[in-house]
Amino acid sequence: MLILGIETSCDETAAAVVDGERNIRADIVLSQTELHTPHGGIVPEIAARAHLEHLDHLIGRALKEAGVSFADLSAVAATGGPGLIGGVIVGVMTGKAIAFARNLPFLAINHLEGHALSARLSHDVEFPYLLLLVSGGHCQLLIVEGVGRYMRLGTTIDDAAGEAFDKTAKLLGLGYPGGPAIERAAKSGDPARFAFPRPLKGRPGCNFSFAGLKTAVRQQVEATLEEEGAPLSPQTVSDLAASFQEAVADSLVDRTRRAIDIFRERYQLGRALVVAGGVAANTRLRQRLSDLADSEGMRLVAPPQRLCTDNAAMIAWAGIERLRLGLTDGLDFSPRPRWPLDPNAPKVIGAGVKA
Amino acid sequence: MKILALDSATAACSVAVWADGIVLAVERTIQERGQAEALLPMVERVRDQAGLDLVTIDRLAVTIGPGHFTGLRAGLATARGLSLALGRPLIGITTLAAVAAGVPASEWPGAVIVVALDSKRAELYVQAFDERLRPLTSPAARQAADIGAELLRLTAPRYVLAGDAADALAAVLLAAGAVVHTTAPARPDAAVVAALAAVAPLPGEPPAPLYLHAAETTSPRRAPPAV
Repeated sequence: MLILGIETSCDETAAAVVDGERNIRADIVLSQTELHTPHGGIVPEIAARAHLEHLDHLIGRALKEAGVSFADLSAVAATGGPGLIGGVIVGVMTGKAIAFARNLPFLAINHLEGHALSARLSHDVEFPYLLLLVSGGHCQLLIVEGVGRYMRLGTTIDDAAGEAFDKTAKLLGLGYPGGPAIERAAKSGDPARFAFPRPLKGRPGCNFSFAGLKTAVRQQVEATLEEEGAPLSPQTVSDLAASFQEAVADSLVDRTRRAIDIFRERYQLGRALVVAGGVAANTRLRQRLSDLADSEGMRLVAPPQRLCTDNAAMIAWAGIERLRLGLTDGLDFSPRPRWPLDPNAPKVIGAGVKA
Repeated sequence: MKILALDSATAACSVAVWADGIVLAVERTIQERGQAEALLPMVERVRDQAGLDLVTIDRLAVTIGPGHFTGLRAGLATARGLSLALGRPLIGITTLAAVAAGVPASEWPGAVIVVALDSKRAELYVQAFDERLRPLTSPAARQAADIGAELLRLTAPRYVLAGDAADALAAVLLAAGAVVHTTAPARPDAAVVAALAAVAPLPGEPPAPLYLHAAETTSPRRAPPAV
């Protein structure tokens, strides 16, 4: 089994070839960061244009790198949502066209399912498992019962964790994307210098909130500017970054601990805590989650960084998992800007409707 | 020469299979949205109706805009995907040239043919052609009043207007006392796109979209404090 995967839902154009024995035969990611940096965030129209400009070339390169041709493929999988619709359309139409031209099955992949199943590409993980999905667009705790079967335990009621990193980095003048920038600055910072709030810590449920934390950082920056004068010293910026990062980690760990309790109540078998999504690339967060897993008798599974940020290998892999179950899609598949993994999850007041 | 052509760049969607001047099959719909859903099934039906084996195609053709960004990207992504997977060249045709070529030949003599397409904004997408369909102006996004004044300077004995925004431009030209005649078509047609692609030179690269508008960007609502 050999699948071509396509990912275009945000600001990375990506194509990959993955086989049924979990070998990533090619994995090409073209980041658009440079195009968006001058605007301080992702501009949907710029993203859509760049995806169209590059995607077919990237697919050609991926096949070449894998040493295969269209004739060797078993199916084509493309991210069908959720995400920026202009980009999703480019990926879905390209994928459907290739599938049609070569008479192959087409699979529309939920981008979040790509992240959710990526741990099964990199590690031996059996269903069910607990998933913390933390990225620039999403922050959710889910029980992964099987392919296409998810139970959402919690989600953010305002910003995603990655958004909080981006906005805080911007505030601190650390640039975009914010995750790596904050982590770099935090390395030489004192996480205890500023007492930022730990959003929702100790409260019932597994939801997240980061808007208040973001505001607290802004107020602290303004107060510190008043005290120390502009510009802030590199040490103060590092201390702010470290204190912020620790607050996010504390909050995520607290919510995840609650989710572990619920997961165990429902499933006696599952012992894996999987962390996925771009924010899962944060080393400090991984460390904290690893400590949590140890203390709870769970096993932390974190796919390699390359599989945590947006990529097409995870889309191809989700395609393999779905193709094995015969879950193919028609050529009339319509790209879905909103596509929750658990459609039965109760609506959360204040939460975005994306997922 | 056998060509598979498609268009979804304006408020319409069409697919045609064309072979040496004969349209073997064609399907057309008028639709503002939903092209991403409708296009591939339409290609499939037209292929079947034409009894076409995809490997016998010599060329693919697609409209590249100007038009609605979402629809033209859906069409171009589809066409570029087909071109890659079939290993056949893809020809890009502008929507303006495709509409102009759809104007009945009986209307051409002595006329300046002007195509005006809706842009969903204040401007129209406009291009003027002579009586042999050679471009007189470049594709442009212009306010009706501005492009109207420029067209009047061509002092054509007769203006033949086509495109789904022809009425807006006709009003400006009529008000200035020009002789104006609006005609079909309102939108591109894949069968015409195929005919144009048959005589077009082969490009070295896959065709790029013709947006005519820079990408809209929003600036941050609040500037961050200086740190």
